[in-house]
Amino acid sequence: MKENWRTAVHGPWPYWVGAMVLGGLNILVLLVRKRPWGVTTNLQDWSVWFAHLLGLASERIPVSQLLLAEGTYLNLGVVLGALWAALAASQWRFRPLRQRKFGFSALIGGLFLGYGARIAYGCNVGGLLNGIASSSLTGWVFALAVFLGTWIGAKILLKFLV
Amino acid sequence: MNPMVKNQRYWNWAFMSAMFFFFLLLAQINWKLALNLGLGVGLGFALEKSRFCFVAAFRDPILTGMTALSQALILLLGVSILGFALVAGSGQGYALNVYPLGANTIVGGLLFGIGMVLAGGCASGILMRIGEGFAMQMLALAGALVGVFFGERSLRWWQGWGWEQPGIFLPAKLGWLSTLSLEMAVLVVLWLLARWWQNR
Repeated sequence: MKENWRTAVHGPWPYWVGAMVLGGLNILVLLVRKRPWGVTTNLQDWSVWFAHLLGLASERIPVSQLLLAEGTYLNLGVVLGALWAALAASQWRFRPLRQRKFGFSALIGGLFLGYGARIAYGCNVGGLLNGIASSSLTGWVFALAVFLGTWIGAKILLKFLV
Repeated sequence: MNPMVKNQRYWNWAFMSAMFFFFLLLAQINWKLALNLGLGVGLGFALEKSRFCFVAAFRDPILTGMTALSQALILLLGVSILGFALVAGSGQGYALNVYPLGANTIVGGLLFGIGMVLAGGCASGILMRIGEGFAMQMLALAGALVGVFFGERSLRWWQGWGWEQPGIFLPAKLGWLSTLSLEMAVLVVLWLLARWWQNR
């Protein structure tokens, strides 16, 4: 019992346990929100809000609307939950960039993944996992495209970064 | 070595107290927001503790030949499909993610796949690693915020040129039983494939 508790707090959990817990929580999110868990729709709303501040977008999303959006708290929760998980195991620390090239790779990668997610209506969570969980054909097609993209990305990674 | 790194017990208590009051405050404004925060925390905690990563599930079979995470993703898909069918099939008013299908689905998926490998995390993975303290994924989030803005601006163009068709909700075409049997069969085949790939 004590041993189990230690593993639960310190980890790592076996992958299948992670998958079952994530699956259960994913279903709970659907029950609470009446629509599935997603990440990038909310990021998009924040980006439009920020672009308006900079004068790059004409439409205005009031910040009160963003602060009352469920997606904001799901996303914030993921960050805080991971922070807590690291803290509970005394493993939290700031992890600086190891090399400058990883910074460029992160910025460019982020740009690509953000753009791709929004023109395809979803990321790995909203588009892939929950597209498929919603028994939508689009989810399966998106998964295939993401797999091919990952393959191309891995080639780029091997050529330029490792 | 910083002694704080060795034992973060007090930081952990401070964090949990702060979270407790944040949760209470939010629940007074809107209990649903507090519930969403709690679910988000659970998801982030589980992602971190199980080292679950969508990128690795797709990338590791290609880079290292390991498919342990791919098999876990298949399990997560199976649980979610059945759970969603149970919830949405028996209740009213659920909006599922049945999105239009077009060239933008394919191009978006390709770009998203390339991007998540370069960024070292997909959208949820970036958030999880920011929580863990990774500077790289903080930069990736900055890039992603610019990317989603451009994506949002050009979606209209893609909808015009991408031969976009309305999304197909499989149970509406095939019925629930055939849909679920087909999906489970595909997942089992993928799982067998993943096991074979690792033991090759």
